[in-house]
Parts: sequence; C-alpha cells; structure tokens
Amino acid sequence: MDEKCTQLWQKLSAALKPHVSADTFKRWFSAVELAAVTPKALSFRVPNNIYQYWIESNHMAALEAAVLTALGEPREIKFISSESPVEDAELAMPSKQTNSTVDAKPASTSLFGLNPRNTFESFVIGPNNEIAHAASLAVAQAPARTYNPLFIYGGVGLGKTHLMQAIGQYVVAKKKNTKVIYLSSELFINEFIDAIQHNNLVKFRKRYRQADLLCIDDIQFLAGKERSQEEFFHTFNTLFDGHKQIVLSCDRPASEIANLEHRLVSRFEWGLTAELQPPAIETRLAILRKKARGMQIKLPDEVFEFLANRIRSNVRRLEGALMRVASFASLSGKALTQEVIEHLLKDILQEEARTSITIEQIQRKVAEHFDVRLADMTSKRRPASIAFPRQVAMYLARELTKSSLNEIGDAFGGRDHGTVLHACKLVKKRMTEQDSIRQTISFIDSSLQR
Amino acid sequence: MKFSATKEKLLEGLQQVQNVVSTRTTLPILSNVLLQAGDGSVHLTTTDLDVGVRGSFEAEVEKEGATTLPARRLFNIVRELPAAEIQIDVDGKNAASIRSGQSFFKILGLPEEEFPPLPKFEEAKVVTIRQKDLRDGLRKTSYAISTDETRYVLNGLLFSFKDNKLTLVATDGRRLAMVDIELEIPRSQETDIIVPTKAVTELQRLLTDEGDVKVSVASGQIAFDLNKTLLVSKLIEGNYPNYKQVIPAEAKERVTLERETFLNSLRRVSLLASEKSNSIKLNFSKNNIEITANTPEVGEAKESLPVQYKGREFSIAFNPEFFMAPLRALTEDEVFLDLIDEMSPGVLKIQTPFLYVLMPMRISS
Repeated sequence: MDEKCTQLWQKLSAALKPHVSADTFKRWFSAVELAAVTPKALSFRVPNNIYQYWIESNHMAALEAAVLTALGEPREIKFISSESPVEDAELAMPSKQTNSTVDAKPASTSLFGLNPRNTFESFVIGPNNEIAHAASLAVAQAPARTYNPLFIYGGVGLGKTHLMQAIGQYVVAKKKNTKVIYLSSELFINEFIDAIQHNNLVKFRKRYRQADLLCIDDIQFLAGKERSQEEFFHTFNTLFDGHKQIVLSCDRPASEIANLEHRLVSRFEWGLTAELQPPAIETRLAILRKKARGMQIKLPDEVFEFLANRIRSNVRRLEGALMRVASFASLSGKALTQEVIEHLLKDILQEEARTSITIEQIQRKVAEHFDVRLADMTSKRRPASIAFPRQVAMYLARELTKSSLNEIGDAFGGRDHGTVLHACKLVKKRMTEQDSIRQTISFIDSSLQR
Repeated sequence: MKFSATKEKLLEGLQQVQNVVSTRTTLPILSNVLLQAGDGSVHLTTTDLDVGVRGSFEAEVEKEGATTLPARRLFNIVRELPAAEIQIDVDGKNAASIRSGQSFFKILGLPEEEFPPLPKFEEAKVVTIRQKDLRDGLRKTSYAISTDETRYVLNGLLFSFKDNKLTLVATDGRRLAMVDIELEIPRSQETDIIVPTKAVTELQRLLTDEGDVKVSVASGQIAFDLNKTLLVSKLIEGNYPNYKQVIPAEAKERVTLERETFLNSLRRVSLLASEKSNSIKLNFSKNNIEITANTPEVGEAKESLPVQYKGREFSIAFNPEFFMAPLRALTEDEVFLDLIDEMSPGVLKIQTPFLYVLMPMRISS
C-alpha cells in the first residue's frame, strides 16, 4: 500500500473496530489492504474472494459506517482479489449493483466484435442522450429483466453503436460465460442467405437462438427483405420467450421504417424505445474535453469552443476534427489561431455550412410533412390546419437558423416579429403537452439536418 | 424403429429423464427425448445443454433405430394409455405411432442427428463412491447453495477430492455447510470441482441407498454413473473461494441440543418472526434457552427449553430458516452448537465430520 492508503486504512480500521467484534476484525479485516482511493470509490485488496463475499454479505453496514466516520461522506466500495488470474487483476469488483462501471477491457470482448473503446465509462452523458444511457445501463445490469427489447434510434454518429457495445462489454465483464452476439443487420442477412445456400440453417439458428444477449445494429436494413424479416421474427420470438435480452439500433423510430412487417414493428416497440439526439453545445464541449483528456491532448479553451460551436451535427465529425487539430498541433508545432483551424477543417466546415438550413428549406419540409402548400406558409389564412404548420415552421426557423425574429417574420409573408415569438412559445408548449407533436418536430428537425 | 414394452417400464424410463428438460428451451430439439432402440433395450436421453440424463428400459426391439420425440407429450400419453403393453413404431419421417389396446396416437418428432450428443469422457479422473454416503452428504449441504446469480462461482456445490476424502461445501455468504466423506483417492485423481445446482438436485433424485456411483471428471464436465442411469453436467468454471477462512477457530461455549425438540420449538416460535426483521433470538441462561420472536403490531412468541448450559448469560439472534434447514437435513438425535459471542458466527456440529457455520443477525434493542 502506498503512504496515503496506509494512513487512510489506519483511520478506517480505527473507525471500524467499534462496529465489529474483535474476532471478526482479526479474521476478516486484518488481511485487508486499501489498494486505491478515488473521490468516488475505495478499492480494497483481499487475499481471495471469500473475503469479498463474506464481508459483502455480513459486514457492509459496519464498513460503510466506518467510511462515513473516517471520510465524512459515503463512498462506493470495491474489492480486488489477489488470488484471481492475471486478466481479472485489473478488474475491481464492484460490491453492489450500483451504477459502477468496470475498468478493465478484457481481450475476450474483441472476439464478439466489440470495440474495447466503447464502454459506459467513455460515453459522455448529456440531456440529448441521458434516457438512452440510463436505459442501456439498466439493461446491462439486469439483462432481460428491465427493458426487453431495447430499441435505440438516432441520426448518424450520435452513439448508437457505442451504447450497444457498452452493454455487451458490461455484461461479459460481469459474467464470463454470457453469450453475447453483436452484429449489424446486414451481416445477419448475409449469414442467413449464406446458410440457406449451403444448407446450414440448423447451425445458423442454433448460433443466434442460443445467445444470452443479441445486439443488432442498423436494423433498418431489414426493410424490404421479406425472408430475412421472417427469420429475424422467429429468432426474436425464441430469444424473447427464453427471457434473453435483445438490443436494436436504428436510424429512425420503428414506426417509420418503410417496408417492414407490422408484426416486427410492434415487437420493436414492445419494450423501451430511446432516442439519441444531437448533443447541445455544453455536451459537445464535454465530449471534446473528455476525448482530449483520454488522449492526453492539451489545447487552448478557445479551440474547444470553436470546434463545439462550429460542428453541431454529429459526434463522429466532432471527434474527427479534434484529432485533426491535435495531430496538426503536435506534428507541426505551429500556433493554433482561428485562421489556421479554419483552413485545416475547411472541408468539414463546408459540410456543416452546406447542411446549414435556409428558411425556405424549412418551409418546404414542413409543408411537405403536414401536406399543405408551400404558399400556405406565407399566406394570411388562419384555419388551424394551416396555421399550426406555419407556426411549426417558424419555430424551426428560430431554432435552426441564425435569422432574427424580424427576418423570419419577413420570410413568412411580412409578419410581425411578435407573431413569430408567439408561434415559438406555442409550439414549445404543445411539444411538452403532446408526445406525438414532439416526435413529429424531432423527425422534421433531423430530416432537415441530414 | 419399432419396439414394444410394458407401460410400467416405459413410464419408469421416461420418469428418470423428464426433469432435465427445460420448460423454456431455446431450441425445439431440447424439449425432445432421444430414443435409441437396440439390443433388447431402449435408451432415453434428455438434455438442456448444461445437464443431460441417459437412462434405459427393457423392450422387445423388432427394428433397431433412433429418433427424438416431444418428452412431455410422450410422457403424458404413455401415462394415460389403457393397456399394459405398448407398441411404438417410428417411420422414416420421425412420426411415431403409439398403440396400446384400442388406443392409437401419432406424434411427430425430430431427427436424431439434430440431438446434441452427450460429452465423451476420455482421460477422465474416476472415483467410486457409495450411493448412501453421497446421498447423505448432498442432503446435509445442498440447501446452503447460493442462488445469487452474480456470484456464479457459489451457484453450485464444491466437490473437493483430496487427502483420501471427498469434502462437499456449499455457501451463500451468510452460512456455510460442509461435510466429509471417507474415500480412497489415488494422488492422480485429486481435484477440486464445482457442480451446478441443477445437477446436484437431479443427482439427489437419482441416488438411492444401495450400490455405488461412479464419478468421472474430464474437461469441464462431470458424469455420475448409477443404477443404469447416466447423469452428465457442465462444471462451473472458476475457483471456489477459500471456505476454510470462514470456519471459526475455537468456541467459547458449547451447548448440546436435542435436535428434534429444538427444531420443533424453532418452527413454532418462527411463526411470529416478521418478514421485515426475520430473526429469532436465543437467550442463554443457566441450564435454559429461551427462544423468542417478535413482530411489532402483530405479536410475539416465546418458548423455553431446558439444556445443559453453564456458561455466561448472553443472547444471539439468527435467521430462523437458516437455522432450521440443517436441523431438518440431519438425522442425529443430538447436535452441538458452538458459540463465541453475539456478533460471531455459530457452528452446528455432530459426531461425524460435518459443520454448519451461520452468521448471527443484529439484535435491535
């Protein structure tokens, strides 16, 4: 134990002794060492895991009380067993089913096709994804007992694959023998076709129907493929009836996948559907900072702010830009001014600008969605069937473009800026009241940004 | 495949293998029983991919062959058949025609090639144990196996073949049961393995008090060969924790209890133990134990038992079910309770090598 740990352990021992009998302390705690201290958790090293099981089952209250006395606040308690084989030595075993995440990245997960960098720990949570994150964590902690199936949807580069693989990593780390299958639906379809051609259907079915956790990415590729959909339908049923966890990801809500059998849509919607939205500026900043910390990149704050401000559409692009800037800085040693970065990221920024939206585009999209004429956007007609879409378009114009209220009002047939403000307020209120409206607007929003 | 057999023999055979079939199977073939008709007998096999059972029954085999049929359905049909003789005829498409008296049934099966084969035991470690000893040992320990799935290493019974004895250990973190069975074990056959709960339960069902059971261990699998039945199971991968750490070194007080009387008192008093604070308190005083249980807003129960006790007065509380389980499993008239203090575990012992360590509960003042 290092100095700090030794001192803290002495303090803890003193606080612990009054809570347990002398015999208990001698038997169970005299061989315990304090291995690591973080602001959130304490890791104790024990000779072998009977210590962990026995202390967890019988003396946790005493230990937690001692921690509270010695440190003034509760901490999470983890155990590391000295006797465990080499790969587990990096793994600090969490003592309870709390929100703790597993630190090590066991080599075996790459066998399942899981990228070891995609864990819950490396996922930045923000209001745009906290529900999806919480749901994924709940699923990982108790597979098939919380939300089954879990359906995650969202645009490009927003974290669907990251979350799915994080679930897989977590489950495998917790219980070694779990059969995790992660693949894209395209691979599923290809293997299925292959199995038919080589008469290997039994093996194919056995493989997929024996999974404990099945994760399928980009399920929208099943659209239009009837035979594959049928096979997936049977696989789904078998796993679901056998109380095995299914996690799916898609680029749109289940109900919006064209040419997908209704019985599959209803099954996808059976459990929990969670949306991943593009991150807001604070979250973008957090992502950049976390990534930079992880790669030990040091950049001035203005650079982070610039990147977070200018790159809004997806996280992948954001991280790519960060890498570019960071490598440039380290390889060339030149100072990073705004002009230099703009030049460096010229193509990315152009992409962002191209997808930056005009009011007319918004009007067109909204009109198309609500099945009204483009002219209705600017007309003076008041019936709700026309007025509401107009208001939605005004709201989106406010959210997605840099135009002022006056400019937006002008674009909608010379309306007053107050009208636009009222429209925005109204639409916001309706969005909180009715989920269908929120979903509709979210859909139009993402289709505009594509 | 074509054979005929008596209803009694067929039913008995099917009974032996039914329990292993899982009700929630992932593969349809797993809910089927494999029938292999050969030389004067038919072998039955069922499996859930972790545990498998193979039995047999005598039959007149007219045509040899093999197939798989739905286990539950076949059992239900055979049970209801009217006459003593049953004929089963299976065609090339795995459809079985079952005839008995005036009844005719036809059920569809799956080909035998699809049935997962039981593992082979080449280069296995082999030990022979008297069935009575193993049955007794399992009864004394299996109730203490952990059911907490997060501690998968404890979800089975430790079989430690060492120093010319078989030690069985079960624990769930709150209590531990251990028993020793004398056995001749050559050095080369020594090993430590963990047998999953389902296999232990099935084994207890199959064991009788007569004869021997041959135990084979190889590459993560264990086989129990007994009374014409073969039970095969995957072993739990991992190292069983060092259970010896749990066992207290010495006792401060030892009390001799009349097992049955004490068990009955516990049973009665625990009727008043609440679901929330599920505990019963034992007050030790001169030559007397007072057992009490108390649920606020409901009531209390109290019983006194005379006992040989000359130690200091003190009280200790235990979970009633955890205390009663070993008492129910034992058959001895007398048991010994070793105690240290109210915060240290109590240990139940008998004359033969057995012990049960039980952690006390906090006594709320």
